[in-house]
Amino acid sequence: MAKVIPRPQLSFWENIYFVEIFKGLATTWGHAQKNLIKGDFPTRNYPDELPALPRDYRARHRLMKRPDGTPRCVACFMCSTACPARCINIVAEESDRLDIEKRPAKFEIDLLLCVFCGFCVEACPCDAIRMDTTLGVMVADNRADFVINKTTLMDWAPADYPATDTQSQKAPGGSLHAQALADFNSGNRH
Amino acid sequence: MFDWILANPYAVAGLLLPIVIPLVVFQILPLLVLIERRGAAFIQDRAGPNRAYIYIPVLGVKLRAFGMIYNATDAVKLLFKENFIPPFVHKGWYLFAPGIPVITGLLGLALIPWFAPMSYVAGESLAVLSGQMIEANSGILLLFAFGGLGVYGIVLGSWASNSKYSLLGGMRASAMMISYEVSMGLSVMGMLMLVGSLGLTQVVEWQGAHTWGIVVQPIGFLLFLVSMFAECNRNPFDVAEGESEIVAGFHTEFNGVKFMTFMTAEYLHVIAASVLLATVYLGGYQLLPLPLPLDGFDAPWVDLNTLWLKNHLGIIAGLMLAGGGAGLLGFAYLLVGRRRTYQANDANAVLKAERSKEYGLYIAVFALGGLGMLAGAVASVMLMHTAALGQTINNTVIFPGWVNAVTAFIQFNILIGKAMLFCWLFVWVRWTLPRFRYDQIMALGWKVMLNIALVNLLVTAVIAKLVR
Ligand code: SF4
Ligand code: SF4
Repeated sequence: MAKVIPRPQLSFWENIYFVEIFKGLATTWGHAQKNLIKGDFPTRNYPDELPALPRDYRARHRLMKRPDGTPRCVACFMCSTACPARCINIVAEESDRLDIEKRPAKFEIDLLLCVFCGFCVEACPCDAIRMDTTLGVMVADNRADFVINKTTLMDWAPADYPATDTQSQKAPGGSLHAQALADFNSGNRH
Repeated sequence: MFDWILANPYAVAGLLLPIVIPLVVFQILPLLVLIERRGAAFIQDRAGPNRAYIYIPVLGVKLRAFGMIYNATDAVKLLFKENFIPPFVHKGWYLFAPGIPVITGLLGLALIPWFAPMSYVAGESLAVLSGQMIEANSGILLLFAFGGLGVYGIVLGSWASNSKYSLLGGMRASAMMISYEVSMGLSVMGMLMLVGSLGLTQVVEWQGAHTWGIVVQPIGFLLFLVSMFAECNRNPFDVAEGESEIVAGFHTEFNGVKFMTFMTAEYLHVIAASVLLATVYLGGYQLLPLPLPLDGFDAPWVDLNTLWLKNHLGIIAGLMLAGGGAGLLGFAYLLVGRRRTYQANDANAVLKAERSKEYGLYIAVFALGGLGMLAGAVASVMLMHTAALGQTINNTVIFPGWVNAVTAFIQFNILIGKAMLFCWLFVWVRWTLPRFRYDQIMALGWKVMLNIALVNLLVTAVIAKLVR
């Protein structure tokens, strides 16, 4: 059986509109004068004042670095295989180290295709790609500039990452770099 | 030629004012757009458009002028947009239509008495320069005629667009115009009956001699106000645009500069309606609704009419300048608070530096302006003594030209000030009330407002007859 919802009956004062109109005007006036005089809006002046994104926000990617500054990526294509948007374009080449087979000659991500799902990060077997840059705003004036390459992906400094993030601090410039580089040269790659 | 101009300043003023005053009043339009945008934002708890800026190289300031720059950017954008004409429209009428409401709006402004008629000596006799640019006996009727013509632009534009949505919008506009024109005419009729004339100057003079229209005709005022909202196609009566039902109504097919012309006309009609409301119901250029006991309570109370104004020009000019100066200083003080919050924002150093500089400039400008106005107030109270300047010729007090000019300027400002109250009311109501449904509008117009207007007219007629 259909449920009958009774129409709300307006009282006499509601029916002549004017009382209700003045009530509404009082409400909006309250907001207008509060905002005009105090000026602290609940909104943010967005591109001027960016929100502080948490580290686990899936922002723009970065490629992690080994202590010697080369990318940790071994060009295994796991990320590009996992990528639902097919936006990771890797070209592999032979590594110049005996203990590492391959390295990426080219590593491109098309940010316009990317759906920021984070599958690439999950898929990577050696923690070489991450999305913890908190770069939530990506701006360019043509499509080509939205395809970011290896240089852009590796352009980050350990100082911008927390001290507890050991992997980042082992990269050149990080607090754990000296020890890590010694280990690395003595054969301990991770 | 030049000698003639110097010899006949009133004649020259009479020739120039019909062009100058509508153009000056036209300058309220950007301000109104700003009020509409930022006012809407403040009502809705957001900051509103404030990011477009002009960089001033010497000062190194990004001047945003509280969002005023958007007027310029909008105009530039709309002017340089492709002037696309859809292939299915009636080209001639389509291009012609947006101009009509602008022209009728400007003509309506020319019918308003902006200042009291001033008498002057022309050769042997006395002559009068009216504050009404077009002085017609039909007065307010002509104004209504122009107001009614404005809707022709909308209907013609919608018809020429040759599109269903446009046509629906145009039909709605014309139907609403017809229904609300009736109650508008009937509601203002009570006022006209009391005055006994159709001339707007007489309406204002009557209000000066008695009291403001809003006091004697409160119901007529409310009805007229509501009808004006309908006339201007403003919310809650903007069914002609009705973007949730018929795309954008009558201007669906209009783009670029043609669209801009329609929008200009809308705001122009808001200004014209505000000025008309102020003229008919808020005493026009009159200073106060009631006489004041300036000479003590036992003496006859002083009516602050035009003659009194001309006799005490210094004091009134001083008071107005002082009020304006205090307003500017208050605003500067408000900006000081804003600047402090920006300076306390350490999260964004660039923003902090930029905004501090920018607000510093604003504060300097407004504080200097306010202090300048206060100085002007003191100067005018000290220096402007006009009581002795009037000479009585043929029972008329004649003042020198500059006194007349200053008086006209003050009265113009009084009227504009009152009109700005209504402009804000238009914006305020637009962002408070939802849009009426079309059938609700028709029911309200024909079944409610018309009847109230008729009863109001009847009661006014009886009372007017009894009082006379
Ligand atoms: S976040 Fe998702 S879509 Fe983007 S590159 Fe990684 S796997 Fe592909
Ligand atoms: S999954 Fe990791 S290691 Fe493999 S190609 Fe992608 S980034 Fe490089």
